[in-house]
Amino acid sequence: MLQLLLIAFRNLGTHRRRTLLLGGAIAGVTALLVVLMGLSTGMKDTMLRSATTLATGHVNVGGFYKVTAGQSAPVVTGYPKVIEQVRKDVPELDYIVQRGRGWVKVVSEVGSSQVGLGGIDVEAEPGIRKVLQIKEGSLDGLKERDTVLLFEKQAKRLEVKVGDTVTLSAPTLRGTNNTVDVRVAAIAANVGLMSDFNIFVPNSTLRSLYQLKDDTTGAIYLYLKDVAQVPAVQARLRQTLAAAGHELMDNDPRAFWMKFEVVNREGWTGQKLDITNWEDEISFINWTLTALNGLTGVLIFVLLVIICVGIMNTLWIAIRERTREIGTLRAIGMQRTRVLAMFVFEALTLGFLGTLAGAVIGLAVCLGINAADISVPEVVAVFIMSEKLNLAVNAGSVVGAMLFITACTTAISLIPSFLAARMKPVTAMHHIG
Amino acid sequence: MNPAAKAPIVSITNVTKDYNLGKVVVPALRGVDLQVHPGEFISIAGPSGSGKTTLLNLIGCVDTATTGVVSVAGQDTKQLSERQLTNLRLHTIGFIFQSFNLVSVLTVFQNVEFPLLLQRKLDKAQRRERVMQLLEQVGLAGHAKHRPNELSGGQRQRVAVARALVTRPQLVLADEPTANLDSVTGQHIIDLMKELNQKEGTTFIFSTHDAKVMNHANAVWRLADGKILDRLSASEAQRAMAVGGH
Repeated sequence: MLQLLLIAFRNLGTHRRRTLLLGGAIAGVTALLVVLMGLSTGMKDTMLRSATTLATGHVNVGGFYKVTAGQSAPVVTGYPKVIEQVRKDVPELDYIVQRGRGWVKVVSEVGSSQVGLGGIDVEAEPGIRKVLQIKEGSLDGLKERDTVLLFEKQAKRLEVKVGDTVTLSAPTLRGTNNTVDVRVAAIAANVGLMSDFNIFVPNSTLRSLYQLKDDTTGAIYLYLKDVAQVPAVQARLRQTLAAAGHELMDNDPRAFWMKFEVVNREGWTGQKLDITNWEDEISFINWTLTALNGLTGVLIFVLLVIICVGIMNTLWIAIRERTREIGTLRAIGMQRTRVLAMFVFEALTLGFLGTLAGAVIGLAVCLGINAADISVPEVVAVFIMSEKLNLAVNAGSVVGAMLFITACTTAISLIPSFLAARMKPVTAMHHIG
Repeated sequence: MNPAAKAPIVSITNVTKDYNLGKVVVPALRGVDLQVHPGEFISIAGPSGSGKTTLLNLIGCVDTATTGVVSVAGQDTKQLSERQLTNLRLHTIGFIFQSFNLVSVLTVFQNVEFPLLLQRKLDKAQRRERVMQLLEQVGLAGHAKHRPNELSGGQRQRVAVARALVTRPQLVLADEPTANLDSVTGQHIIDLMKELNQKEGTTFIFSTHDAKVMNHANAVWRLADGKILDRLSASEAQRAMAVGGH
């Protein structure tokens, strides 16, 4: 076998120009795949980190309370008992928080805008400090009642700064409008789409605005030690909460605010819980990832086809050039399987070395882009929830990409190699050309 | 001991070989019978197109007869599978080709070692010893690390001889082994083959046009139009060639 590898390796070296051209193409596709996967993973990481802190947990227990069939509020009543149940059922839990949720009009002296409202207990939220970059004021300012955290974009639009007062106006459960004046305690750096339609106030302020009881909240956010456990935890909670007597909504993988219409059409009243995960809550922007992954898939597929045709063509040429050699080796006692292996090794060696070089180049490009701290256009930042381009390289994906491309090139080489192995020694030995 | 007293290593009985060239059938061999015994140094002579190479291909198990029986080392080649034929070639037969047919990307040592690697009988040290012993015999021990393209034609053919003999085959087939060499180098190659035939007892069958080369053979099978004309001694063959006969 070593001798066959040696022959493969030396034949590649003998036809240096051909090898470099094809190896370069393989390296290029691998590098492109590594960079695109880095971009996709980076986006996903950023979205996961930002979204799961600002707008959702890894798993959420939310729900709707309906006083009448056509009037719903996105709240969980009696949440301390639900939290107690969740803590018991989910050993994978890292920490758990409860947040009020609502939709308000923010009014300043010069303008107004409609935004999503998050009610937080800032002392119970370890994650939010890691994600929010406070530009003005202090996050601890939200410990005080009737304060608000705005993002730079909103502060600019409303023309307010820390210490100014804005008015929040929202309809209560009873259908009447209520208002509360809040002081701007902190202004945070923009984090993509979240900055456009999210503000944060202390939970106590949100409760007073919506006139909610102390044991009512918007949703319970579960943060897990390992995100991979999300589907298992979600499935388990559906069973255990139902078993504990809670009414559950059918699974609907969308953000809570997209469900009002459906919920209001249904005839039930009272409380129903809704269990979602982080992907459901940001599904409305997740299409960017799907689109990027789709584009990556199509691009890589097309390039792979080109490479595979190149590999096949190269092997055809090599086999044609070495037909007499094949005949000789068969004559001196080499079995067909070994002839097959000899050419497959050649494609395997080329594929492996090409993908290895490509992975190194791809990694270097990713590291270079991260080191360059490149700012992305605002329209891109909206979707990736970051103002900087971040490429996250995962060792497993890089190895996976290498193995996948090497496997493709090796698999396609089986066709010409098989035909080479099938040659009759006498025909091959007397081949002219 | 007289080689003819032993069981034949090659036995060919009423063998024909036809080639289909489209709608035309070209007969290359027309009812050939011959026997070769262990230790013989046989030449197959005849003009171009007489069927020498076809006959060697059949004996070498790289091609199959249309009709008749080809038996090598006691085995009817028609009854063997492709794998068994390959094993028969690997363990019983050595080949020397007109245009050397060495693997260009391997060194001299690696070329000679290659059949031993296919056989998987010897360990690394034993292989090394055997290869170096043969390279010394063919006078190329100092060229073990050279690639074939760094050698002259005569040296390449000596490598091919070493490769053919490295597995200690019972039979070595050489198709016009001196055709691509000058007469002096060709003479050296034949001398070398003869020496190995006498020292190791290996049976050699080689085809040639060259009367001087034929002169070394124990016997010369003369072939014309796909048929064996006769079996002559070397001197008889020389005389026949001198008067312009086949």
